[in-house]
Amino acid sequence: MNYIKNIIIGIYRLMQGMYITMLNFIRPKVTEQYPENRGKVFPHERMRGQLIMPHNENNQHKCTACGICMTNCPNGTIQVISKKETDEETGKEKKVLDKYLYDLGSCTFCALCTMTCPQDAIEWSTNFEHAMYTRSKLVERLNKKGSSLIKK
Amino acid sequence: MFDFGVVTNWIDLFLRSNMSENMALFVEFVLVGFAILAVYAVLALLLIYIERKVCAFFQCRIGPNRVGPWGLIQSVADMVKILLKELIKIDRADPVLFRIASFLVIIASICTFGAIPFDPALHAVDFNIGIFYLLAVSSLGVVGILLAGWSSNNKYTMIGAMRSGAQLISYELSCGLSLMTIVILSGTMQLSEIVNQQSEMWFLFKGHIPALIAFVIYLIASHAETNRGPFDLPEAESELTAGYHTEYSGIQFGFFYLAEYLNMFIVAAIAATVFLGGWMPLHIPGWEGFNGIMDKIPPFIWFFGKTFFCVFLALWIRWSFPRLRIDQLLHLEWKILMPLALINILLMALCVI
Amino acid sequence: MGMMNEKLSALAFAFVEENGKTLNVTVPKENLYEAAVFLRKECNCDFLMDIVGIDYTESLGTIYYLSNTQNPAQLVALKTSTTDREDPLLDSVHDLWDSAGLYEREVHDFLGIRFINHPDMRRLFLRQDWKGYPLRKDYDANPALNPVPLENELIEDMEAVPAVELKMGQPVETIHKLFEEDEYIVNFGPQHPATHGVLHLRVSLEGEIVKKIDPNFGYIHRGIEKMSETYTYPQILHLTDRLDYLSGTINRHAVCLCCEKALKLEVPERAHYIRTIFDELTRIASHLLGWGCMAMDMGSITAFVYGMRDREKIMDIFEETSGGRLMANYSVIGGVAWDIHPNFQRKVKELIPYLRKMLKEHHLLFTGNPIARGRMEGVGHLSKEQVISLGATGPSGRASGWSNDIRKIEPYAAYRRADFNEVLRQDGMTFDRYIIRLDEILESLNIIEQLIDNIPEGPYAAKTKAIIRLPEGEFFQRVENARGEFDVYINSKGDKSPYRIKFRSPCLTLVNSLIPATVGSKVADLIMIGASLDYVVPCIDR
Repeated sequence: MNYIKNIIIGIYRLMQGMYITMLNFIRPKVTEQYPENRGKVFPHERMRGQLIMPHNENNQHKCTACGICMTNCPNGTIQVISKKETDEETGKEKKVLDKYLYDLGSCTFCALCTMTCPQDAIEWSTNFEHAMYTRSKLVERLNKKGSSLIKK
Repeated sequence: MFDFGVVTNWIDLFLRSNMSENMALFVEFVLVGFAILAVYAVLALLLIYIERKVCAFFQCRIGPNRVGPWGLIQSVADMVKILLKELIKIDRADPVLFRIASFLVIIASICTFGAIPFDPALHAVDFNIGIFYLLAVSSLGVVGILLAGWSSNNKYTMIGAMRSGAQLISYELSCGLSLMTIVILSGTMQLSEIVNQQSEMWFLFKGHIPALIAFVIYLIASHAETNRGPFDLPEAESELTAGYHTEYSGIQFGFFYLAEYLNMFIVAAIAATVFLGGWMPLHIPGWEGFNGIMDKIPPFIWFFGKTFFCVFLALWIRWSFPRLRIDQLLHLEWKILMPLALINILLMALCVI
Repeated sequence: MGMMNEKLSALAFAFVEENGKTLNVTVPKENLYEAAVFLRKECNCDFLMDIVGIDYTESLGTIYYLSNTQNPAQLVALKTSTTDREDPLLDSVHDLWDSAGLYEREVHDFLGIRFINHPDMRRLFLRQDWKGYPLRKDYDANPALNPVPLENELIEDMEAVPAVELKMGQPVETIHKLFEEDEYIVNFGPQHPATHGVLHLRVSLEGEIVKKIDPNFGYIHRGIEKMSETYTYPQILHLTDRLDYLSGTINRHAVCLCCEKALKLEVPERAHYIRTIFDELTRIASHLLGWGCMAMDMGSITAFVYGMRDREKIMDIFEETSGGRLMANYSVIGGVAWDIHPNFQRKVKELIPYLRKMLKEHHLLFTGNPIARGRMEGVGHLSKEQVISLGATGPSGRASGWSNDIRKIEPYAAYRRADFNEVLRQDGMTFDRYIIRLDEILESLNIIEQLIDNIPEGPYAAKTKAIIRLPEGEFFQRVENARGEFDVYINSKGDKSPYRIKFRSPCLTLVNSLIPATVGSKVADLIMIGASLDYVVPCIDR
């Protein structure tokens, strides 16, 4: 008797499991159809997709080439290459940003650079489409050509 | 009501009027062979697509949707890919047995496929011992699986093959016993005769409770015979990576893959034929108008409708339950299904008397 | 504390000092075994938390962190050291605690200390033919010494087990084979669908029955502890997310707490609340994935997808507030990196009823399933004594009736403010380890429910100096991560980077407890018990 009872309970439990899967069969699906939903679904604005350096309309940025981000970066993702330039007004020699190189290939998105930047010159964008054909293309120059420091 | 008799008779007449009797017969054999192979391949692709789509829907996903509208051509693309892949030579494997194994599996499955009555006229081999033939030929597949596991020179495949040997041979029993129940009811083993006898009412309803029990037992046992979850121990991917066909690649793997899906179709087709009346429309005695409407639907639609219903049941079970362990598997067969099937045969015999 | 002190005074050679809740017991190396036996037998220190190997430059030392399960908040740190740098030898304590075996192999691997009478002195993480001992301060990291190998490691090397014995005062090395000639050995891993990472189990089978298991680690060892010795503290934080990636937030929390303890930094209450909620969300996500993975290892792939689907909601909340999904990078020393997103509270409150409903469905789908029940019940038994001796903390230990929740023992962050139960089960079977995770999800939801509306206003982080230097000393912090007790040991020399940092990975001991739980069961059970212990390999291969 116990034997038959166990079988019936077993079948009932199995049916419960099948009920759950059938329930999900008719539920709306959760798949995000990625290339189609481009422009419709956005990552949250705090998402760390890629490091960028915002420039204003005069092609100016806030980076003073102090290199704090470079020393804070745990894996050498950031290279700040500076050059000496003489200031036109005072005539003094001054360190300015030449190239700000950012290697997406080794970035771990720890955000130490943006957290420690004293000028808030760099920030994160939500762009997440990083695929490239060669690794060298992952190294990006963040400051635009001919850009300069914002004059205070 | 339309059936394929019109087409087949026309071809027969056409051939006979143009050539000698023997020649016509020969051409017909070749044609039937080609037709079976073609339908086999197309059905396999269709089943792979159905499985992926249904599985995705059970899992709150959408499934293949890139190649063609709703991903319809996905499995064709996969097939092309599998045809283009390299056949890897396995180091220290037995090359002859290794090659033979995949053919054995697919031959067993095609042989079974040929004996299925799709339609009153689409029935290639109609033996008077049809059910016996089905059981005999379909169990050849286990030889292929054992050989595949043995010849691959791999420990995973070996364990998989041994498991599958134990599993297939045990489940063959209750599978056969549950079919025997219907043989007792119908008094014949010929498939066309079995279908014809169900013109009044399907055996599932005609045979009272024993037929219902036999149907359930058959569904479970045949599901186990197809090596699909929850009975997929021989290929248990979380334990044995891919079980007996771990070492296969390219089209040889494709053979196993095709055979797996077609076996699923074949067991569903047998269930539909034996229990659900095959291509016979749903008839309820006394309801003449209803029966008339049902007769309007062509028989092959009835057949495929019933078969795909059984396939859907199999998929539903496959994607709902976890895998059994080997001792649970044998416990289920030898302590639950087998005794039940035996008692059921007795019950059916009493019913028939 | 007093009682322990009194008892320890019986050890004439031991130098005892108190450091917060920790009792430091320093003994000469000749008396190490005697002291260990005394602590184990007389003081009932039945739980060996961790063995920290450390190079003091003039000597090599080991620290055994012990605790008594009756009085779990009290820690004993048994310290010893040897000045012999050529062939350092120490007594093995593997016969007192089952967990010591692997810990001693780890110390041997990184510091070259050989343990006398230990039956298995192979390297644990590095290849057997590695030259040098990486955590020694004089280690030569020249890549020419250890070139990237292009050949597989020889099976003979992996199976030849050296052991050191002391005969007539002289160390004698013997080598024995791990497996017999005619054993049927199957490799599970390093690339295998069910080892949850690159774990390599060499399993000796007899038919379907598992006879012996030999775990091999180190396939993704990244040397995080060695790297951390050159990193500043904020930089170390980003590596902790990558230890046990499923409870990364909690690991990061542990390092932050340890640094804050050392700096005596007052962390704002708001930060505590946010961190606690994040920890609990991480725990839920991890348990959901653990549940799904276990179901998948048993063949029910649909359940895995459902687990992932529900986990996705939590990942979405993480992304909105912290900007990262798996690697949240949220806690920093002194608080959290940013304030919570305005939507955070609303979304979490929506999540709680959703998850409760889904859990009911998961129970219907999988817990009640007779196949799953039949497989999980009565398999993979671990007794309470076994789990304590093996150091299998977390849900796996609690399933055997060992009350080891650090959130209760040493409440940190905002756990004091929440009223919750420690879920305990007594039987120690696979089913208990399975069901306890689902119950813990409910308990975590309770905690979140109590905290989410009461997040106090105020700053979200305390001000810290630009360059963080920890004062000189040793610091130890325990937290409860999703898999068990995660401990951080920091030895600071007052620099901006630690002199030695050691993470106690709960997963190493879990893999160790796989062996007694599985031997005698079937292959299918091996995979399932492994999944029920829910180890994550990057946590082992630090």
